[in-house]
Amino acid sequence: MGRALSIVALATLAAGPLHAAGFSIFEQGSKATGMAGAFTAQADDPSLLFYNAGGLAFVEKTDVSVGATWIRSTKADFEGAGPFPGPGYSAKQETLSEFPPHLYWVQPVTSNLKFGLGIETPFGLTTSWENPNQFAGRFLSTKASLQAFDLNPTLGWRVTPNFGIGVGALVRYSKVELNRHVPFINPFTQTVADIGALKLDADYATGYGFNVGLLHRLNESFSWGLSYRSKITVDYDGDARLTQISTGNATLDTLLSRQLPFNTKLPVKTSIDYPDQASLGLAFGLTRNLLLETDVNWMGWSSFKDVNIDFTGGATNALPDTTLEQDWEDVYSYRVGLNWTVSPASQIRLGYVYDQTPQPEEGVSPLLPDADRNGFCIGYGHTQGFRYDVGLMYLDFKKRTTNKARPSEGPFFGTYKTQAVLLGLTANF
Amino acid sequence: MQRLKILTGALSLALLLAGSAFAVDTGSANFTTYVALGDSLTAGYSSSALAHTYQVNSYPALIYRQATGKTTGFEQPLISNPGISGLAVCNGANPPAPCGILRLAALGVSPTIVPTPGRGTPENLTLPRPYNNMAIPGQTVHQLLTQTTGGFSDVILRQTGFTQLQQGLSLKPTFVTLWIGNNDALGAAVSGIAVEGVTLTPVESFKADYTTIVGAITTAGARMAMATIPDVTSIPYVNTISRFIVNPQTGQVVRDPSGNPIPFIGPNGPLQSGDFVLLGATTEISQGRGIPTALGGSGLPLSDSSVLSAAEAAKIRDYVNSYNAIITKAASDSGSALVDINALFKGIATNGLHVGGISYSSAFLTGGLFSYDGVHPTAFGYAYIANTFIDAINDTYGGDIPPVDLYPFVFGPLPKSLAKAASGDEYLSFLFSPDARLSLLKSLGVSQAVIDGKVPHKPRPRGRH
Repeated sequence: MGRALSIVALATLAAGPLHAAGFSIFEQGSKATGMAGAFTAQADDPSLLFYNAGGLAFVEKTDVSVGATWIRSTKADFEGAGPFPGPGYSAKQETLSEFPPHLYWVQPVTSNLKFGLGIETPFGLTTSWENPNQFAGRFLSTKASLQAFDLNPTLGWRVTPNFGIGVGALVRYSKVELNRHVPFINPFTQTVADIGALKLDADYATGYGFNVGLLHRLNESFSWGLSYRSKITVDYDGDARLTQISTGNATLDTLLSRQLPFNTKLPVKTSIDYPDQASLGLAFGLTRNLLLETDVNWMGWSSFKDVNIDFTGGATNALPDTTLEQDWEDVYSYRVGLNWTVSPASQIRLGYVYDQTPQPEEGVSPLLPDADRNGFCIGYGHTQGFRYDVGLMYLDFKKRTTNKARPSEGPFFGTYKTQAVLLGLTANF
Repeated sequence: MQRLKILTGALSLALLLAGSAFAVDTGSANFTTYVALGDSLTAGYSSSALAHTYQVNSYPALIYRQATGKTTGFEQPLISNPGISGLAVCNGANPPAPCGILRLAALGVSPTIVPTPGRGTPENLTLPRPYNNMAIPGQTVHQLLTQTTGGFSDVILRQTGFTQLQQGLSLKPTFVTLWIGNNDALGAAVSGIAVEGVTLTPVESFKADYTTIVGAITTAGARMAMATIPDVTSIPYVNTISRFIVNPQTGQVVRDPSGNPIPFIGPNGPLQSGDFVLLGATTEISQGRGIPTALGGSGLPLSDSSVLSAAEAAKIRDYVNSYNAIITKAASDSGSALVDINALFKGIATNGLHVGGISYSSAFLTGGLFSYDGVHPTAFGYAYIANTFIDAINDTYGGDIPPVDLYPFVFGPLPKSLAKAASGDEYLSFLFSPDARLSLLKSLGVSQAVIDGKVPHKPRPRGRH
């Protein structure tokens, strides 16, 4: 019970603004972050549990890492276009600070069998619009947040002196919160009135999956790694609550309150299919002190199709079921990282990532506006005495313009512009 | 507030960037002189009246603004608020109040829709040239070609002896939108009487007149967009009231002992599947007509003009389909843009219409698309129609005219006089006042004889043999 509680406490830190394609968070270790996540073929610190379990085979001593990534969105703006909400309309998201944590323990059992336990925060998302009561997209979303973290016990086996495999189990804990306003045509004004704020809260639910990794350290100047983390479905139970908003007309309010289940708990069920992902990395020892790694990372976002929200409260405590259509696509990201060992005590890192958005144009909405992005990274590692890593990433989202709408939602056209800074700090014991 | 600031900022920036800041790419369509021809729908008629607030946002005025970036130069026969309804008595110099646009006076058990007190006056009567928006409420295809006096034409044609078409073409338009023919069929639906030659224009004569109009415009050298006519059963005036009797206290359908819903009594007995009770029937229903004595009604049937039978609806639909085939062919023959309003309305009736997560529908009062007369669009509805025109014009002429910004039409504000608070009920026990009904019929060109019931009660057989 105690552990469960602390796990929950950790996970509440884990929401973040959008920062890796879709709502995945690939920053699960500060050494890797310094190299833009190009780490699959290195996997030589405890964050290997996330990046490539194959690296576990080569662990020779007990090692513990604790860290977090401070994610700060520096800009998340929206400019409207016609026909709705129209040119000249603009809105902003709250600039948020979030701290998705990571925690790893690796432990040799025999010379060839190794054990590891990781806690990772592979997915997370918060979009929160300023002035939600005036925001023109408030009937689509005012605030959405999703938190997911994995408990990841892993076994590693050193097959040959330079080839290792790792296999792990993934237990995903996740919660979701969605907020929007409910519109109604006021028959007196024939314009739109807000009649309620709908909040949907799905508390922690669990889903299961696995991960596998291979790492082949051919020689001093070349290694390759392959890592796979499976698709995981999380089925959520939760409650929705529709809080009445006055239209300014008392009798109309009374009438609506007779027809809608205001201010009561409305049980809901929903489900999210998290994507599987695979990474292939190649690492080259250019000189004794200089290492270059290039990775390609695939994410099976086509799993993210429809999010069905089913109200299960029977005739009285329910609203009509809704479907949030997503229809995302599988995407690749490309990563390159450089690690320069300046001295036995210090390393300097550089990295670059190009990350494609899995989101089709008609799916871009205030609920979750995603975009292609370029990430530029710099990092430092202190490798003697008190060992720690720092990684800094500047993430620039391409402008994302949508001029296509899903018929069920209608146009909410415009351009989203987002920037974020990520600072990872990991201490190793 | 934030929006206003940005608009002001954008405006001053635009001014800095010099004169031709709003150059719009209209493709091969030229909006230097734009003339709109049509009927009440083109005039911006809403809630059973022609009124300034709605006229300034008529779909032709919106198209002009989007295509030229200008707010002046498109002249309309504006009538000050609260407008003038189609009532005959409102045409006189000293009409009895009220003659303004319809408003929702109250919801509650007996929601009522009544004309606004007062009467508007023409604001632009002395313009020394024809208006750009020449549309005349009530006109049929034939009247667009021939009418010179009577009804709304007196304040639009201004007793010059020239027709809508002649005055429009005298401006030497470079672009013309034509949406005419609604009154060749709609009057039949709204009056519940479908008789060829009385409320329905014969197809051959429609074809001859329509072709003449398009020919004249083409000869004058203007490019065109022309719109189809909506299916009569897609409007709230026709499809709002259930054919089954509803208890206004509970909102529930009244059932017989074996659980079957009880239909209203129509002129030919109990209403059958496919029959429509028109919005104008509410006065009769409130008097107990159409309701059996056992249920507290008078036992008298609803009058013919309160019911659109399945057979009448099918007949009107046949005519509308024929008219639309003529319009579609005329558009393709002349290389004009075709604006398929019929498809738009059908789509709305089936799937609704969605904007930014807001759902609009063809529901009366709460659907947001149709005004209080159940036939003519709201300001939002007209803005959406303007965008449908703009899409078709861009498609045909290769332009990039920006769509109308729907934001102010979604959120308002509309004039305060419309927003008068009252009590409410969603259920369909409206009292659509006799004045409201009369005004609407007039605006749709329904003749006094039909309104007075001086036509055969039952449609004549089609006369195939």
